Amino acid sequence: MQIVSKDLVYTYSEKAKALAFRALDGVTLTIPEGEFFGIIGQTGSGKSTFVQHLNGLIPTKEGNGQLLVGEFDLTDKNTNLKELRKKVGMVFQYPEYQLFAETVFEDVAFGLKNFYPDLPQVDVEDRVKQAITTVGLDYDKIKEKSPFELSGGQKRRVAIAGVIVSRPEVLVLDEPVAGLDPVGKREFARLLKTLHATFVKTVVIVSHDMDFVAEYCSSVAVFSKGKVVKVGTPKQVFEDRVGMREMGLDIPVTEYLKDALKEKGVILDCDLSVESFTKAVAEKFAKNKGETDL
Amino acid sequence: MKDVTFGQYYPANSIVHSMNPAVKILLTIAYIVAVFMVKQFYFLGFAACLLAVILITILAKIPFLKVLKSVKAVIFFVLLSAILQLLFNKNGTPLWKGGFITDVGLLTAGFITARIVLMVLGATLLTLTTSPVDLADGIETLLFPLKLIKFPVHEFALIMSIALRFIPTLIDETDRIIKAQKARGADFDSGNIFKRAKALIPVLIPLLISSFRRADELADAMDARCYAGSKKRTKYKKTPFTVSDFFGLVFMAGLIVGVVFLNGFII
Ligand SMILES: Nc1ncnc2c1ncn2[C@@H]1O[C@H](COP(=O)(O)OP(=O)(O)OP(=O)(O)O)[C@@H](O)[C@H]1O
Ligand SMILES: [Mg+2]
Repeated sequence: MQIVSKDLVYTYSEKAKALAFRALDGVTLTIPEGEFFGIIGQTGSGKSTFVQHLNGLIPTKEGNGQLLVGEFDLTDKNTNLKELRKKVGMVFQYPEYQLFAETVFEDVAFGLKNFYPDLPQVDVEDRVKQAITTVGLDYDKIKEKSPFELSGGQKRRVAIAGVIVSRPEVLVLDEPVAGLDPVGKREFARLLKTLHATFVKTVVIVSHDMDFVAEYCSSVAVFSKGKVVKVGTPKQVFEDRVGMREMGLDIPVTEYLKDALKEKGVILDCDLSVESFTKAVAEKFAKNKGETDL
Repeated sequence: MKDVTFGQYYPANSIVHSMNPAVKILLTIAYIVAVFMVKQFYFLGFAACLLAVILITILAKIPFLKVLKSVKAVIFFVLLSAILQLLFNKNGTPLWKGGFITDVGLLTAGFITARIVLMVLGATLLTLTTSPVDLADGIETLLFPLKLIKFPVHEFALIMSIALRFIPTLIDETDRIIKAQKARGADFDSGNIFKRAKALIPVLIPLLISSFRRADELADAMDARCYAGSKKRTKYKKTPFTVSDFFGLVFMAGLIVGVVFLNGFII
């Protein structure tokens, strides 16, 4: 499903004039199917507001621009939101706060049963088991436990299992790695890549972690004051050092190192990933060593 | 969800806003007493009260519409009591021959409507010009006599301000959880009443749990700063009795005298 947004506008508290705030001020953005799409931007730039439009959690009104998600026209009042939400899954920041059921199994099955009320029990069990295993938990050990007796990390995994269990084509995540330790972040990235390689066709992820974005995203959009000010590959986006600084955004650590080396007269030609960076350094090193040996 | 503005405090820089909250509460009570002192059918007294409301609104720099909107909340109640009076008050003479609406019925309906509306307008002015925290503070001051019978006034006020403080947070949280469950296909708007009530469980439980978590965190934070009850606590925000409070008292006294005086005239 391709996502096309054109001049999308959204105002919070529109009726209360004094409190009204235009969070989206004409967002034009196309997210092709198959992307691992990053959204970055300063706090308050409208990222969360935008992604909540993608499955109709924030309704689009007529006259406020266009938004097409696959075959769903979000400006149309009669759009079947349930069908849309079946296909566009959404993981919020701190998803563990949405847990409610008595057992992990029931909580994970909640979305599945809402979307597919006629699914036979065996299939439900099958799917739940698969979802729980995918997020790296032991199904048999955990399924009968109360979600509230799990650790924070486990809770978050259960919550994510509860979203992917209905196998959405598009997975939208709003700062999912906030509060995770570095190892947790890496594991989470691996999980997303696995999902992206299976039934999830498109990933849209809002993140403040530039290293994460540089390493995993195929494209990035930069939000600023309710508008998209830049779209491109992470390399293209982060290249514009001045622009990034002006928008109050950080750059990935590999870019910092590249700049520092450049100041010392060492120019590297590499991508943003740590792997590509280390490879370039190693090559340079080997070459220089050869030269001094001469 | 956020469109629900709780308490409806309307921030502005005016002499009404800067008045001592305790005095304001007392004056509001005095105002309501004045409204009730208006004798039946002596509508001039109401005119005086209305004039007072208009004057205060201007002084407080609040748009009139904002004040009038408060009536919306009680409109059903007002209409109901007016209609009941119109239909069932059998005193006086019918307005037309054989009609079922009497002149006394009509006057009583008007009288009740005016009384309720004026009361609501006055109370609204209090909440529009006083932030919830200041209100709680004012109530604490006014409850001071209860300290004599060992009633924990300070703790009571603290509970009140904490509750007020967390209402917006809870609204935010509810909004977030509703969205998260909607994204998982939860449906809150269809089915019969039992189905809808049941649909709320996935919202209420996380909400309850996070409230407990917040309460714990807040208690820890207060402990960590060695917070201890009421003994000899000073106030961060002092609300002295100022000139504007004095004028407020004079103003309200004037209104009451005016109402008593106008009770002597009938139109
Ligand atoms: N429910 C709301 N009511 C009123 N204003 C809101 C609401 N939610 C967000 N806003 C405002 O809209 C703007 C955009 O908010 P949004 O949450 O989309 O930002 P964001 O880019 O996701 O920021 P962050 O990185 O901090 O999550 C902010 O200025 C915020 O104050
Ligand atoms: Mg956000």
